[in-house]
Amino acid sequence: MYDDDHDALAAEYVLGTLSAAERDQVEALLARDAGFAETVRLWEHRLGELNVMVEAVEPPPDLWERIKTGIDGAERRTQAASEAVEPADVLSEPADAAASAASPQIDASAEPSPQTVPDLLSDRAQGSEDSKTADIASTLLPSGPAAESADQLPKSTAPQASTGAETAPPHQNVGRWRGLAIGASAIAVLLAAYIAITHLTPGLISLGRQPQIITGALKPLAVPQLVAVLQQEPTAPAFLVMLDPQQRTITIRRLTAAPDSGRSYELWLNSNKLPNPTSLGPVGNSEVTTRSIPPNIDVETMRSATYSVSLEPGGGSATGAPSGPTLFKGRMIDAAPGSSE
Amino acid sequence: MLMQTELVWLLGAVARGDETAFQRLYEATRAKLYGVLVRILGRPALAEEVMEETYLKVWKTADQFDPATASPITWMVAMARNRAIDIVRRQGDIAIDEEPEAAPEPAADTPAPLARREMTAELKRLLGCLGRLDPEKQRIVLLAYYSGWSRDHLANKLDIPVNTIRTWLRRSLLEIRECMGA
Repeated sequence: MYDDDHDALAAEYVLGTLSAAERDQVEALLARDAGFAETVRLWEHRLGELNVMVEAVEPPPDLWERIKTGIDGAERRTQAASEAVEPADVLSEPADAAASAASPQIDASAEPSPQTVPDLLSDRAQGSEDSKTADIASTLLPSGPAAESADQLPKSTAPQASTGAETAPPHQNVGRWRGLAIGASAIAVLLAAYIAITHLTPGLISLGRQPQIITGALKPLAVPQLVAVLQQEPTAPAFLVMLDPQQRTITIRRLTAAPDSGRSYELWLNSNKLPNPTSLGPVGNSEVTTRSIPPNIDVETMRSATYSVSLEPGGGSATGAPSGPTLFKGRMIDAAPGSSE
Repeated sequence: MLMQTELVWLLGAVARGDETAFQRLYEATRAKLYGVLVRILGRPALAEEVMEETYLKVWKTADQFDPATASPITWMVAMARNRAIDIVRRQGDIAIDEEPEAAPEPAADTPAPLARREMTAELKRLLGCLGRLDPEKQRIVLLAYYSGWSRDHLANKLDIPVNTIRTWLRRSLLEIRECMGA
């Protein structure tokens, strides 16, 4: 059986925090140790659901044609000519070229392989036959092994399905990879805080104005700077609240069932800098609601506030203050380092 | 909205070489995978390349998908993330402070079918367990997942010694495991 070192290694592999050298070792181990592969699969299962919180972004429309050309090329090597090709498929011609020039990755797929590690590392796996699992675990102890040199990169070039001008030739891709920047300033980072609920006693009535609804759908690539999870008990988060101080918008993602018809959830901002809870408006019935922050509330207040959700009559509280029970509550946590302000 | 069972069905059809099913699978999952990749890779062009690789791999290995042990979307996202993190790690975390390309500007009203699904029991459990960690530890776990940052990169960006990051990650992940049950 595997010890905690192995489990932590598998977990960090799935999380993505290992160095290049450590990832190579894990991938070598994966190829020859079915038990370890199962451990990794378990971690993919445990952590994989986090993808739900990643904002969907539409890829360019022409990407499908490139993928389709790629699979047409791959398919011809393994199956009889497909009858399912769409009419007027102008890309079928380049597909033949792509098939004949296909990378070893495609060839390898022709024979069934239980291996799920990236193909580009399979040769390295052979070279690491001697490595013991203990060696791998021990590499976690010394500080960061040097990253593998970038000469690994060219091997990993994808089969370039289309031969058209829209796809750069592989040698250019290498340059792009080398120049890859993952600066925090442009990468949207979702962070969440999970805060146990303590039931909130609503303050007195105020005449809070309800902010105007900007849009019903989350703007793609919106970069939430702060996130709170509103929940009633530690195991039942029900709303994710994402605050973008620059756009002065707040986005509410509903993770729980919509209220019964005739009732609404309403989001409130509670701050000791404000005399009363401020309504941020009813939470829409769609999964995501985006609203603007009222102009009288500054960024610091937004950051430090407690957010809560109450159950109100349909359309929201008629009084301007929470009139129904407060069901969920949470606080913002700081977000992407170096990317705010 | 495509439910998980429909995605499982589609993957089964893809394993039999059904191109129409593959296209439907692509349409149902492309925005989620691309969102994950853009976040980690920063560069749309690179994210597109990994998209091509990932879907080709899905096409070729759909028969290895086991609905008993994974959900289709987590299976596909794991595949895409692994490839993206390999690329980022392999070119080293040297270039981290370079300015990336401008973020892509997709149409504002494009549908995101998978974004609309209800929260799964697994996610609830995971969030509940994450919630038991200290906020700073939640932070590094989530930064690592969403941005694909290495320990060194986390240490650098958060100004925390890398050995502390190492200890926190290990402890946090093992706590998550205990919390979620074996």
